[in-house]
Amino acid sequence: MATQNTPLSSLEADVLVIGGGSTGVGVARDAALRGYSTVLVERRDLADGTTGRFHGLLHSGGRYAVKDPSAARECIAENRILRATAADCVEDTGGMFVSTPWDDPEYGDLFLEGCKATGVPAEEIPVAEALRREPRVNPDIRRAFLVPDASLDPWKLVWGCARSAEEHGARILPYHRVLGLEMEGDRVVGARIRSERSGEEFGVHATVVINAAGAWAGQIADLAHCTVNVRAGMGLMIAMNHRLVHMCVNRCKRPADGDILLPLRTACVIGTTDVFVPDPDETEIRQADIDLLLDEGEKLVPGFRQARALHAWAGVRPLFEDTAAVAETRDVTRSHALLDHSSREGIAGFLTITGGKTTTFRLMAESAVDAACLQLGGARPCRTAEVPLAGSESHVLYRIGNRLAAREPVPQAEEIVCECELITRSHLEETVKQRGTTSLDDIRRVTRLAMGPCQGGFCIYRATGILHEGGTIDETVANQTLLGFLEERWKGVHPILHGDQLRQARLDDWIFQGVLDVEHLPA
Amino acid sequence: MSYDTVVVGAGLAGLVAALRLTEQGQRVLVVARGVGATHLAPATIDVLGYVGETRVESPAAALPALLAGSPDHPYRHLSAERLAAGLAWFGTHAGTLGYTGSVDENVLLPTAIGVPKPSAFVPRTMAGGDLRAGGRFVFVGFKGFKDFHPALLADNLARARLPAPVTARALVLEPPASPRGDLSGRVVAGRFDTDGLGDWLIGALDKRTDPDEIIGVPAVLGLRDADATWHALETGLERKVFEVATLPPSVPGIRLFDALTQQLRERGTSIVLGVRAAGARVKDGRIEAVDVSNATGPVSHPTGAVVLASGGFASGGLELDSFGVTRETVFDLPLVGVSGSERVRFAAGYFDDQPLARAGVATDDRLRPVGPDGHPVYANLHAAGAILGGAVPWKEKSGTGISVATGYAAAEAILAPNAQPVPEAVR
Repeated sequence: MATQNTPLSSLEADVLVIGGGSTGVGVARDAALRGYSTVLVERRDLADGTTGRFHGLLHSGGRYAVKDPSAARECIAENRILRATAADCVEDTGGMFVSTPWDDPEYGDLFLEGCKATGVPAEEIPVAEALRREPRVNPDIRRAFLVPDASLDPWKLVWGCARSAEEHGARILPYHRVLGLEMEGDRVVGARIRSERSGEEFGVHATVVINAAGAWAGQIADLAHCTVNVRAGMGLMIAMNHRLVHMCVNRCKRPADGDILLPLRTACVIGTTDVFVPDPDETEIRQADIDLLLDEGEKLVPGFRQARALHAWAGVRPLFEDTAAVAETRDVTRSHALLDHSSREGIAGFLTITGGKTTTFRLMAESAVDAACLQLGGARPCRTAEVPLAGSESHVLYRIGNRLAAREPVPQAEEIVCECELITRSHLEETVKQRGTTSLDDIRRVTRLAMGPCQGGFCIYRATGILHEGGTIDETVANQTLLGFLEERWKGVHPILHGDQLRQARLDDWIFQGVLDVEHLPA
Repeated sequence: MSYDTVVVGAGLAGLVAALRLTEQGQRVLVVARGVGATHLAPATIDVLGYVGETRVESPAAALPALLAGSPDHPYRHLSAERLAAGLAWFGTHAGTLGYTGSVDENVLLPTAIGVPKPSAFVPRTMAGGDLRAGGRFVFVGFKGFKDFHPALLADNLARARLPAPVTARALVLEPPASPRGDLSGRVVAGRFDTDGLGDWLIGALDKRTDPDEIIGVPAVLGLRDADATWHALETGLERKVFEVATLPPSVPGIRLFDALTQQLRERGTSIVLGVRAAGARVKDGRIEAVDVSNATGPVSHPTGAVVLASGGFASGGLELDSFGVTRETVFDLPLVGVSGSERVRFAAGYFDDQPLARAGVATDDRLRPVGPDGHPVYANLHAAGAILGGAVPWKEKSGTGISVATGYAAAEAILAPNAQPVPEAVR
């Protein structure tokens, strides 16, 4: 976005939001829609933390129906709201819970009862019908249930919120790190910010500061000498080439590791694991967890280990715990926590919203801004349940064929930079202009550049060439961009490298090292 | 029908071996899953470009240093003289590509991103790009052709480490109207063959370049008549013109594939693509027949000898499964460069030394795959090309050199079964 390059000496706002994940942009949008002047800062790119690394399941609530009924109720309510207000981010795949031979079929009865009690629509269907709908699913399943799960594109969601917030006057500042919180007595009155791009420092003065830093919320709270205990529960995901399933397929059992497989855009994603990590920035992928997901995938879809794995990544759930430590992070509630530090520690003007999950981000934002209103002179009604997100004004749900449908009427009208994800040259150029960035990784998060089967083998040289031709970067920056992207991509590729994806990686080695010889680019 | 030799693989190594054997009167069958890496790699024959971080000026002179650091390299089985003999033979069997070069000297050609890359033998249409003598270069892109970015090339090249001063600039031309705005190399090459794009290019460049400028164009000057188009450009412009290799599909690589397969077909050799060789009938330590699966089922082809040129991981000659086990996919041969019971963990940095980079089969000096005991697995099975372990060809810039030299040497070993094993001369 253009604003991020404007020099800022200091900013005044009603609300300063810290954190550019779904919660943060949700808060910024909500506050802006209520007419508050709003600034959001994020130390890296939007959706670079937990939101951009989650599996992409818009929960129906079915997953929580048995063990966490209040989370289930929140999920189904928010599921309905997001279908209406964030239609372009939601693909209505539907969801199916299946009892594999490893699952107790009687859990299905508990599941149905839980769904009924929490208002999650669930319907048992015959196994033959389930297999007709999902021909790759294990033919030995014993029961199957339909629920309104859906596939949610986290980047579209976050950028839709951010653009919507900007349309209502908010300033969204990715790559702006909080250096410290500014205090006046027992009151937080703003923050000291540094631009990670220009190095420039400036202050933001705000009536209310909302800490929406998710798994990093404890670090932000520390700056105001407040205590927020957020545990980071690391979850591993693997993106598989193509859609092995059409619907979000869940194991019908108590939630555990590797029990969700869902379509997300051109790929499908299996998740997840849950391992406590002391530092949310340290998420090392362990081979044992990869094997666990592949083995669990094999139970859901026989032959899973022979299918092509594209990329692995880990995200960290922010798990709020108010009291004693809990051994299993999955047993910490997945509901969110709103902390008013004036009542907790006597620090006014400072709220923390954490915990929760992407499906309920809007509700989290609503509760945080409701609390902020009290410090801003009185209640103003929340409008996010009715007003559609930028990009979703037509209320038409996303469909996998949308990009293809847009290209087909004029085939090959212009260069297709990324064939895997059907990204044209103009789409790339508009994104660069709109975002004011030349980082291929930033562009990837908005366009899905290089996220298909070849993992950038073909498009990265093209995209770098186009960025450089645009005149915004010289060859040194272009080379750094390309090499940086190759290193960044490799992090997610090497842990799952086998079968056809190793074959692809070797082809990419030939392209980058054998044909282009990027290793010997001038420094 | 029985064959003198069945060649598995239709990449550069397989086609070289097949053509040499055919030329010497053998009845040869080539079977392959598809076209090989010719369609991916530039058609330059890169014998040895780097030993570690050192750019190689003379491949022949650098062989001892290479083998000191990579003792299991396929070149250990070839002397510099045999390397040179294979490449010389290749140079006269590449149709109109017209290779020039020698194993004693590398030229430096610019890559599509502007890095000078060492190659030993290069097609005539690329030879003019040798950067060693310096000069004023202009790189020409075509609007709509996404696989060549001349500005980035020129800016990088201007800063490259070179023996003589080089200046470089970029020019983007808009070819005459085309219904397609998304141009692949093959499409542009087709337009050079059929739409007279060469004449347009002469007109467009005449006014926009100086007589002393050397003109680099993407390697898309045609699939069929590239040599004639290139010649017409040089004479029409009275300037030096050369092609720069770019992203796959490689148009010069396709020309090379076409040139080699055409000669094979003219001599009556069958090339069967779309089939999978998997397994053999074996008797007394020799392969008597190769089992080939096609759409109608398995067929067994009796043969006197076999050349395995099925490629490495990129071509499917090797496979790593999700449990970490690496296999040779045709005959399940013993492999080197693979981890034993240890699970493969790739290194965290993309340019780090990676496990499995040197994976492949080890051979004796007659290029016969050997087991852990050092003895040939089958007396009449020879291997060539990227299936050979011990090299990191994309880093060394040695892939096409290994393919040509070992493809030729495997054929020679079959043609002279009783000859003395080749001395490991260069160690």
